Amino acid sequence: MPRGPREGVRPAFRQWRAGRPFWGGLLLALGGVEVLLTLKASLDVILHVGMQGLAGYLLPVVMLLCGVLILFNPAQRLFYSVIGVLVSLGTWLTSNLGGFFIGLLLGVVGSCLAFGWLPDQEPRVSRRRRRNEAQAAKAVPQPLEREAGRTA
Amino acid sequence: MTSSAEHTPERPDGAAAPDASAAPARRGRVRARRAAVMAVPATLAAAGLAVLTAQGALGVQFAISGMPFTVTATELDGTGFAQFGGLDEMAEGSPNAGDTGGQVLVVTSVIKNATLSKLCQSVDLGGTNLVIRAGEGSQKVRASDLTTDSTELTGDAAFNNIEIGNDASTLDKAGPNGRGPKGVFSQQSDTVHIANLRQTNYATTAGVFKLPGLKLGFSGSGC
Repeated sequence: MPRGPREGVRPAFRQWRAGRPFWGGLLLALGGVEVLLTLKASLDVILHVGMQGLAGYLLPVVMLLCGVLILFNPAQRLFYSVIGVLVSLGTWLTSNLGGFFIGLLLGVVGSCLAFGWLPDQEPRVSRRRRRNEAQAAKAVPQPLEREAGRTA
Repeated sequence: MTSSAEHTPERPDGAAAPDASAAPARRGRVRARRAAVMAVPATLAAAGLAVLTAQGALGVQFAISGMPFTVTATELDGTGFAQFGGLDEMAEGSPNAGDTGGQVLVVTSVIKNATLSKLCQSVDLGGTNLVIRAGEGSQKVRASDLTTDSTELTGDAAFNNIEIGNDASTLDKAGPNGRGPKGVFSQQSDTVHIANLRQTNYATTAGVFKLPGLKLGFSGSGC
């Protein structure tokens, strides 16, 4: 692969990812795909589905849609993630125990990540560094404390 | 609540890319406490579903298909039984078709209401088996509109009021699901009892299963 375009693509992708709950949407969509796969398995034999089986396909499709929409319309992520978590839980009843639990787990984790995501946050500070800074602030009085409070 | 996701004012487009590697730019991320607001109730709900299913209070729909899988049970009792031959079509160009022309000859069994003891269902995933066990205690597994396309069925069977040789399209004892195509040999009975059941199935159309004592796991050996 030529180096030039690759170097251009990756920061762009990184930036695109920064503006949306990327892992949340991706996991939710993957969960939907996994549940669908367990219904269709390796496509060896076509299944004849009746009305009763329809919900089994409908719910994972809604999961997939919610995941994709979280990625491409992150402004509405709260709504999509709430629908996503309810539908993921619903697949336990309708679709092979939620794709034998794996799809359900992916869907619920993805929805929670999307729900908890906030745009435009301070860079992540590791817990140890935060604790050290807090201790430093406690040990040394006034002036440094103000500075630590600003970064942590 | 904060503003929408596209709202990232302090990031001029040109400067952001080189900035990303040197000093981390402001970017969206997951706040643990907000995620927990949803994660805690969702986990509780999932646990509740699993417990209710294991107690047999909630039915679960199964629609495994495509891979052959094995079902065993020490005893199966059913009312409303119908059985007829059929062909399941593989997806076009399926690598598993071989010289079969992409078709699998199956026996379709429909049981309107069935109870099974010591149900065991396993799918060979290549190397490992996904095994589901249920109904090993006093409570039995219950299933409605259980429809299986099997290539193999063994066991000690006993039928009540059996009619053999009907046209599959005229069957009436197993409800609307228990009807096959015209001109196909079939049989039906009011009740069925099979001991030491063992089936190799290619498809199960969704039946509602109630699985008391559910155990789901991976195992080196199947049922």
